[in-house]
Formats: sequence, C-alpha cells, structure tokens
Amino acid sequence: MTAEPLPAVPPLSRSVRRGGIWGYAGRRLLYAVGVVVGVVVITFLLLHLIPGDPAQSMLGNRATPQAVAALRLRWGLDRPLWTQFGSFAARLITRGDTGDSLFYQVPSRTLIFPRVGVTLELVVLAGLFAVLVTVPLALWAAVRRDRLADQVIRIIPSIGAGLPALWVGLMLIVVFGVHLRWFPVGGAGPGPWLTFRGLILPAFTAAVAIVPVLIRSLRAGLIEVLESDYVAAARAKSLSEPRVLLVHAARNAAVPTLTLFGLNIAYLVGGTVVVERVFGIDGLGNLLFDSISNRDFPVVQGVSLFFAVVVVGVNVLTDLAASAVDPRLRMTRPVVRR
Amino acid sequence: MSQRISRRQLLRFGVGSAGLLIITPLVAACSTPSTPIGQSATTSSTPGSTVGSTSTGGSSTASSAIASPTAATGGGGGTLKYARTTGPTSLDPHNTIVSGDVYTLNQIFEPLYITDVKGALQPHLATGHTVSADGKTYTFDIRKGVSFSDGSALTSKDVVFSILRARDNKDGPLSFLDSAIKTVAATDAQTVVITLKQPWAPLISDISAFSNSIVPDKLQGKSAAVFFQSPIGTGPFTLKSWTKGGTVVLARNQKYWQAGLPHLDGVEFSIVSDDNQLVQQLQGGQVQAIDSVPPANVADVKANPQLTLINAPQWSVDLLLFNEKVGRFADRHVRRAISHLVNRAQISQAATFGTAQPADSFFPPTLQYYDNTITMLGYDLAAAKSEMAQSKFAGGFSTEILVPASTQSWNQTAQILQEALKAINITVKIRSIETAAYKKAFFGFDYEIAINNAVNDISDPDEMASFQIDDVNGGSTSFWTGYHNPAAIKLVGQAEAELDDTKRKALYKQIQQIVADDAPYVPLTYPPALKAVSAKVTGFEVNPAGAVRLENVKVS
Repeated sequence: MTAEPLPAVPPLSRSVRRGGIWGYAGRRLLYAVGVVVGVVVITFLLLHLIPGDPAQSMLGNRATPQAVAALRLRWGLDRPLWTQFGSFAARLITRGDTGDSLFYQVPSRTLIFPRVGVTLELVVLAGLFAVLVTVPLALWAAVRRDRLADQVIRIIPSIGAGLPALWVGLMLIVVFGVHLRWFPVGGAGPGPWLTFRGLILPAFTAAVAIVPVLIRSLRAGLIEVLESDYVAAARAKSLSEPRVLLVHAARNAAVPTLTLFGLNIAYLVGGTVVVERVFGIDGLGNLLFDSISNRDFPVVQGVSLFFAVVVVGVNVLTDLAASAVDPRLRMTRPVVRR
Repeated sequence: MSQRISRRQLLRFGVGSAGLLIITPLVAACSTPSTPIGQSATTSSTPGSTVGSTSTGGSSTASSAIASPTAATGGGGGTLKYARTTGPTSLDPHNTIVSGDVYTLNQIFEPLYITDVKGALQPHLATGHTVSADGKTYTFDIRKGVSFSDGSALTSKDVVFSILRARDNKDGPLSFLDSAIKTVAATDAQTVVITLKQPWAPLISDISAFSNSIVPDKLQGKSAAVFFQSPIGTGPFTLKSWTKGGTVVLARNQKYWQAGLPHLDGVEFSIVSDDNQLVQQLQGGQVQAIDSVPPANVADVKANPQLTLINAPQWSVDLLLFNEKVGRFADRHVRRAISHLVNRAQISQAATFGTAQPADSFFPPTLQYYDNTITMLGYDLAAAKSEMAQSKFAGGFSTEILVPASTQSWNQTAQILQEALKAINITVKIRSIETAAYKKAFFGFDYEIAINNAVNDISDPDEMASFQIDDVNGGSTSFWTGYHNPAAIKLVGQAEAELDDTKRKALYKQIQQIVADDAPYVPLTYPPALKAVSAKVTGFEVNPAGAVRLENVKVS
C-alpha cells in the first residue's frame, strides 16, 4: 500500500514529466483505444470459435440441414471468417454499428440504445450504494482499529462478498418483493420513479460484492495515513479529530481506493448480466445473455463493445481523477521507489 | 505506484472481465433447452354452430354460422399482464416456428380450423368443408361476417393468398405441412377449393397449424417487412406496441367477429427470461399470468390459494435417443437392453417432481391415434441382461449421455440412467453442456446417447411419424438417430394416404409397436405445459400445442 508519509517530492527533470496532464491524458486515451479494439477482435473470434449456431438456435428441433443452410446463407454465415470480419469492421467504421440482429432483423444499435439507460442507472446506483456504505464504515473501522467495531466491519462484509449475487438477489426478492412488497419483485419502469424503485434491490445486490474490497482498501489506507507525521502534526495543532480525519487523512487515503473503485466498475458492469437476469430487468446485461444463448453475433458484439467502452472510459477517468488528487501519478514511471 | 497497479489491473480486469462477460453466461447457461416448437390452435368455445368434421376424411355440411360483429360489446375486462420467458422476433406466421413468435401472432392471426384444449379440430374461419370421393379435393366454406381489424371483410381471396404463401415459402420451417397441396382456388367470395397431389389424410390438421394463418390478400400491397411491423389480422387482438426484445402490448380488436369477445381490453406481454423470477413476479402480484412454472415450484404454486396452476398435456414427449452412426447403438440388442433399464416411474417422480407422466408410446396421448395397448419394453433387469448377452457388445462399454446443462430434469434423468446402466456394464459419462453447443453436437451427430424433446405441431401424428421414422424424406434422418426401418417407412406412407379412420388407427398402432420394439429412441415422459395465473383470472386454457387463446380470459 502506498501511503506511508510521502517524502517531499524531489525536483523533477522535464524529460520525466512528458507534457503534464494533457500528455498523460493522451497516453491513457491511446491505450484505452487499443484495449477497445482488442475487445472487438477477441469477441469476434471467440464468438465464432465457440460451438453453436444461430440458425440451429432459431429453428429448434426443426433444424433440418436444408433449413439451417438456408438461414446461414441468408445471414451470410456461410462466408469465410475473414470476409465476415471484413464486412463487420467496414460497417462498424462507416456506420458505427455492429450489424443487423439475426433474430430481430433490425440494426443492433436499435436494440442496444433503448437499454443503455436502465443498465447505466443500475451501475451508477450500485456504485453510489458502494460508496455510501464504504466511506463511513471504513472510517469507523480505521478509527477503532483492532477493536470490536473494526473486526465486525472487516468480517461481516466479507461474508457478503462470499455470497453469490444470484442468491443475495433471490433472498432480497423473497423478503422485500414477495412478502413485504416494498419493492417490485422484478423489472424496472415505466417512468423514472418506478425505474428507480425497481433498481434499488438490484443495485444493492450488485454493490454487496464490491463493498468489502473497497472497505479493506480504504481502511488500510486510512490506517497508514493516520500514523503519518503530518497527521501527527495536524493533531499537534489541535485540529478537531473529524477535521483531521476527513480533510487531511481521507484525501490521501482515497487515491488507491479511487483506482480500485474504477476497476471494480468493470465488475459491476459484468455483474449486471447476473443481476438483471435475476431481477428480470430488460437491460443490456439481459440482452447480452439472451444474444449469447441465441448466438445472435451482431448484438453480442454491440453490447460487448459498449461495455468495453464504458469500462475503459471509467478507468481512464478514475486514473485522471487520481492524478488530479496526486500529481505524482502522472509520471511514466514512479519517481519514488520504496 | 497506483498507476502501475492500475495499468496491470486495468489490463487484467478490463480485458479479462470483458472476456469473462462473454464466457460466464456460456458456462452458467440457463436458457431454454431445445426451442420448443409452438403453434396456434386453441381453446375457445366456437360460437355459432360448430359444424364440421373433427376427424379428417369425413365430410361435413356447411351450415352458415354468421358472426354478428355489430352485437359485439365485450371488453371492459381490463388488461392482462402476462410474463413469458421469450418474446417475439417476427410476427410473420408463414415464416417462423419459435414459440415467442407463435404465441404472440396467434392472438392476431387465425387459421381456418383450430385445435381445442382436448386436441380436437374445430371450424374457425371456415364453417366446414366437404371432401370429394377420391379424397383429393377439399371444398371449404369461409365464415361470413368476419373482418380484419381494419374493417375490411375476409374473403376467399385472402385465404387463397395465405395458404399459397405458406406453401411456397421455401424457407418456411413448416411449409412442408402444405407439401401435398397442388392448387388453391376461390370459386366464389366464400368458397375455397384445395386440390391435392394425392389423398392426404392430415390435411385439416395441417390447415389448422398457425403456419396456415390467414393474412390479407397480397398483404394489402405492402412488403412483408412493413406489413408485419403493424400486422392486420382477424384475431381477437391487434398489435399496439412492440419493443424489440421487450414488452409487447396488444389491444382489443374492436371488429372481432365473435360477439362479445374478447373480454379483455388488452394484453401486456413482458419478457422474464428466468423462470424463478417469473414465479416470483406472479407471487408478488406484479403479473397475473406466467407461461412457465419450473417443475420444482409446482407444489408451491398449487399450495397457494391466490394462484391457479395450469397443467396442460402437450403434443410433446421427452426421448432418450441413440446415435446409430455409432456402431454399438446400431445393434438393436444394445438399444433394447438399455430400454429395459429405463425406469420411467422413477424419472417422472425424481426428475420432473411427478409433473410429467411416464410415457408408454412415442406418440403422446393427446395425439390422434395414440395407442396405449402396444407393448413397451418395460423396466426389467433380467430382460436387459439377456438382450445385452445377445448383442455384439456383451462385455459392456463406456459411453456418454448428451444433455443441455440448463435443463435440470434431463440432467437428473441422465444421472438415474448412469446408475442404472452399471448393471449391464455400461459406464456412462454425462456430457452436460451449454444449450447452443448441445444443439450443435446433437444436430451434428456428435453424440452417442442424448436426451431431447420431440413435438408435434398439429393434432395429426403424421408430422411426428415421418420426421422421426422416415430417414430419407423426413428431413431429420429419423430425428438425428440414423434409424432406418423400411417396413416402418412404408407404413408411414400408407397412413398418410389412408382416409378410413379405423384403418389409419390400425396402421399407426403398428408403427408405434415397431418403434417400441426397435427402440431407436426410448420415450421417457410426457412433459406438460406448466403455466400459472392469479386466482382472479378465469377462462385461461392451454391447448396441446401450448397455445393460449386469450379471448375468453377475464380478470375479476
């Protein structure tokens, strides 16, 4: 972990800094684009490598060889893989679309875009829940280090992390949906209020999995910072304890947790597949699941491209945010070695 | 330092989780197994007189049963919220076979005949038909006073166009049902004559399939793509809105020809892919009807006074299939030995929670000419051992059973068989894989033993018989088993052309007996359609095709 008191930043030569915040942002972006391209190519290859055929999925037990061949011809799946990739890439670049859904015969984006809202709302809400739970608990645990509260805070959420989202979701549904009827059993919407109400249990389910990791990280960060000289100095100036904690300690302890949070967005986005399924939410996760089951290639490509952009985008943003909090992070290699 | 972590982890998490995103669902795989083939037909009480022959081959006098749309009041019954595991991808009746499509479009389009809850054919858009003495000319009387939802009258032109469109659609998964039809012509506005290439007993059954639904002549001059986005049919409901891959909203057809129907003002079909979630939404009062109850939840639903379980027998049978391209399963004795170790009662209880009845023919009981007097190879260890001893593989062998991972009952069945087959020295490995991969393996003959489900789309058994026995013309190499028995194939052909009901029944009895003796596949159980509705819902009935007609449904 980083934060033992960081020594004064040594004077840096220009060659190491390489263009400040903008240069740094540029490099991160370039890197992000590479990752997205990688995801597109790998998804395409994986989809065509795994066994299973959209024509067979569609025709069920009436998938006679003739019927399957006719459908494959209509969908262009009879062409060599590289030709298919060529036309796929051309359409992606020229029209920003991953092709027509094989099952619905409409452009994938007309299936994807209407579902973006609910899924993003779910991810944001889950992230928000995670922060709201993490910050106070981590602060409390750090202050009460090695005492009962600390132990409990460290143990209880870890149990939550061990429970599969599937199970947590089902339990929440049975208790709050079926019996108490406080929240809908599943689905979200129509309208903003019903969507929000429908997303509370799913968001909580998604958050449960990442909270323990965040609490541990923030707690550890806080504990190290709290032992540092500058906190001792702050206390020596007889600043109030909340001020020491929130202003002096928390900001420095937050950096690694922020990065970790950004990385866990990927987990939340991936988690939407399970969570949306359990709660019957008509979002991107569910669309992805069904499209994979049916081998509806263009839609799978579209959703995974979208997810890749979101995940990579959030990571770039958190890196930038972290570098704003701690400018030393903009170095191409760490200047301070420990 | 956190930058270094972030780069490494970004790579690992970013790419890794994107990859995992793709792979995890494949592994988890809980989609439906083999896409069940649905179709139309129904439950409703036919208004007016129900004249017309229910058994094919006979003739019926056409009495005029004129609907009186002016008297139609109905409606006021509220909106039914109905959650299903799949929704429609296309509403073109002549071009689909997927259950999500069929169970939606059959609220909008109707055929000339329909199948009632008991599996019997009832005149619907036709009032009756007559058959010529040589059995090759059918004359249909089209019901008067029927109009499409836009108000235009149904005439024989619409019928001619629809049936020809269904027959001539080469890609249509069920166009083979119309393969015996030579010509379709209108002699006047209410009369349609169909001539056949040869006498064809299943014709009325074929005509009753959803794939022979009636659409307006020339699709009102529109392209199929445009027309089926806002379809116009004679059915009790019209399409109000359709979110692709999401909710479908139907509205009452104000011009519906059955007086006073439908009761409902509308229907809202939502998609809930997970069947546990389906049951919970019904329990939580969020929807009033669901199209699938997992067998494990049946007892709960039954015990709940606020819910009604619907257990409807289907034209459907679960089969244990042998790939005869694998040497040992080409040996009849091996197949018979294994058949003798299939404990259907145990499978019914343990794997389906008693919801599916043990099978005693490869025809389900709801199908015409099903015969339970045939002799099946029953559970009999001594007989199994003696068959095995007569085979070329008396010493036993290792094999595998292919099942889709998501179908719990079939995985349990495979375990029961794995245990049972030890008695004749057959070591079984269970190959339980994701659904699409399962289909690839099954349709590609890349299996040894498999469990699958066979369905019939119409009340006449010819479809199932030719699909599962005629490995030359049936299209599926005898349901992907490679089974070939010339005697049985010949009988299937004879039964198609036999118009005498008694003789036809005798032919199908012979066919069922041959299949029971040869054991190319072993019928396991007859899985029913398990649906559930809120106790406030009445008139909700399911026919053997799994179709629900909603015009008689009321929500109190």
